[in-house]
Amino acid sequence: MNEKNINCPNITMRLETASVLVNKAIDAVTMNKIQKRNLIWLELTGCSGNIISLLDGADPDFKSLATQMVKIVYDNSLMAAEGEFAMEKLFNMLGKDYILAVEGAVSTKDGGLYNVIGRFKGESITAYRAIKELGEGAAYVIAVGTCASDGGISAARPNPSKCVGVQDLLNRKVIKLPGCPCHPDWFMGTLAYILLFGEPALDERARPLMFYSTLIHDCCPRHPFFEQGVFAEKLGDETCMFKLGCRGPVTRVDCPIRKWNDRVNWPIGDNSPCIGCAMFGFPDKMKPFISYNTT
Amino acid sequence: MEIEAIIEKNAVTEAKTEGLLFRGFEKMLEGRSPFDAVYFTQRICGICSTAHSIASSMALEDALGVAVSEQGRYLRDIIHACEFLQNHIRHFYQYTVPDYIKLPQENPLFETDHNDFRLPKTKNDLIVQHYFDSLEISRSAHEMLAILGGKAPHNHGVFIGGATSEASAENISFMRSIADNIRSFIISTMIPDAYAIAEYYPEYFNNGRGYGNLLTYGCFDGYEKLGTLYVDPLVYVDGSVQNLNPRWITENIHSSWYTAKRETYTPEQEIPEPDIKKVGAYSWVKAPRYAGVPCEVGPLARMWLSGEYRHGISTMDRTLARVLEAKKLSEIILTLLNNLIPGVSVQKEYAVPQSAFGAGLTDTTRGALGHWVRIENGLIEQYQIITPSTWNLSTRGNDMLPGPCEKALISTLIENTDNPVEIGRIIRTFDPCVSCATHIFAKGNLVKSFKVVP
Repeated sequence: MNEKNINCPNITMRLETASVLVNKAIDAVTMNKIQKRNLIWLELTGCSGNIISLLDGADPDFKSLATQMVKIVYDNSLMAAEGEFAMEKLFNMLGKDYILAVEGAVSTKDGGLYNVIGRFKGESITAYRAIKELGEGAAYVIAVGTCASDGGISAARPNPSKCVGVQDLLNRKVIKLPGCPCHPDWFMGTLAYILLFGEPALDERARPLMFYSTLIHDCCPRHPFFEQGVFAEKLGDETCMFKLGCRGPVTRVDCPIRKWNDRVNWPIGDNSPCIGCAMFGFPDKMKPFISYNTT
Repeated sequence: MEIEAIIEKNAVTEAKTEGLLFRGFEKMLEGRSPFDAVYFTQRICGICSTAHSIASSMALEDALGVAVSEQGRYLRDIIHACEFLQNHIRHFYQYTVPDYIKLPQENPLFETDHNDFRLPKTKNDLIVQHYFDSLEISRSAHEMLAILGGKAPHNHGVFIGGATSEASAENISFMRSIADNIRSFIISTMIPDAYAIAEYYPEYFNNGRGYGNLLTYGCFDGYEKLGTLYVDPLVYVDGSVQNLNPRWITENIHSSWYTAKRETYTPEQEIPEPDIKKVGAYSWVKAPRYAGVPCEVGPLARMWLSGEYRHGISTMDRTLARVLEAKKLSEIILTLLNNLIPGVSVQKEYAVPQSAFGAGLTDTTRGALGHWVRIENGLIEQYQIITPSTWNLSTRGNDMLPGPCEKALISTLIENTDNPVEIGRIIRTFDPCVSCATHIFAKGNLVKSFKVVP
């Protein structure tokens, strides 16, 4: 919260992207221009951090998503229905129109038995089976967070449960929203875009360009320190975090502009290095997160 | 997470809690830089990520011989208290309220298959309104967390020495305004809502008791100047309160899908290997014990041990203790904010020793959390984690004693065996950090299978 955003209209305008899209989608639903589509939020091998992050959405917020924009037919943590009744609601969607949002990686070891998400008609439903059955028939599949996008921390070395990202198991396009967790704006903006216009423009790794087209380093308010060679020697310093191992120079997402939690702060603003949580290969390709004296 | 319960003659005769998710964080941490553990372990749980960053920082401070300044503790504990508020408000409104209050049925998210909703329509609908109002309040607790913590979930601000950012006059007053607002909501809305529900479900003061053994590692305690603002490390076993001795903490894997050189071990002795084919095991959750005894951890344990709440130990007492603890935490935040000195940096450049051992024990939203780290050649050699849910959802050890949550279910009276709503309500008061499915068996047949969410 200590720095001002870079004052470029092209960049500051992007802050409004998610709320403009969501408001447009809600208007279109209200005026019956588009239908209120079904959303399944499937939680697989992860930490629930992405649904918690979604609840932290401020503008747009979760209430407008859940009550005005889509019909959330399944979300294992928030839905009131339980067990068999809930599983029935989930599998009843097969053959119907639904958008599938997936949080968490997919555990593949021993046929997926390291993650059982429920039972249906007497059978254990593994995360592996759930994504196989629900993934192909969805109108769109959105991988929410780094675990769903690329395995993430659930697949960290030595990957004891043999986790993979959702794409590895599906023969179809999966829109990826990496980030640990995924920012609520990234998800709600992408979903609203889909409802209004269909698939958004994606980069070569299927990330929406409207959120993932800039390097953190290029938009970092501490970039002038980098140019002048003024580097932090410890966490807590208010200069460039490059020599502490900051992954801003390789991480492609809009954190420096968007920030977190109603835009009050973000990791570099909190005087700590970016750990590259929105990058493919996180965490193993981003470690060590903190190193003193890299030069 | 699944529960298997057997009902005979309208009472639960057997219950097993089965953890069905294994990721293996302890194995993943081996060979990594010790500093990375602060950020890495947060990803164990997106609901209580801050707690892991605190326990991890404490374990590393112990190993590195770093003394934390009082200002460092205040900064870090404010971040931690914000997480308590976020968690308790969400747990009450998004996870507890749907058990007792009829939410708008036209929304597919709120469809239910039982009808035990007892509040009169006006009172019911007022709490429905608060379900939605609370979203803004709980999210503001995360906003307050991010002011010092950078972002939430998975914060960046908690680190060895306390926190990465210093307080400023500006951010102190910003946080105070948010804390005041949350506190008003808790007092004027959340606590009355909890008591309104309690009034219509009186039998829930008589079920879900469990062993009545309570444990806390302490939190917001032992400040140099402020003393203990909340609770010291204490246990309540066999009707008496004693000081906690961490050396009496053990884990057992008798009924869990792991193998190791020994079934019972102290935290620093063993990291068991997963073994999904182990005969007789039924869960990924292990069985922690204190002096050989299963213990309940969480808000009720803390409120009881600190003397703040002594009404009883039951399903409804657990819920009331949680909302009353939220009020207590909002007061603690305001006290800590009043004692913050702007402009004090608590960070240094830290060096990792070749060889060291450290333990970090603290209480967090759901109860007692411990991290134990051994460093060799400057890297993590062994990392042990025992989470609060492991205590509460403990399996049977070689003592064959049911875990605290299992015990709380056994002998529960079930009003309608075709729709045993009591079971989900009891489990949920333990705030399990994993969603859990429940299977009910009566007369040898599966009569009901349902999912219990956090």
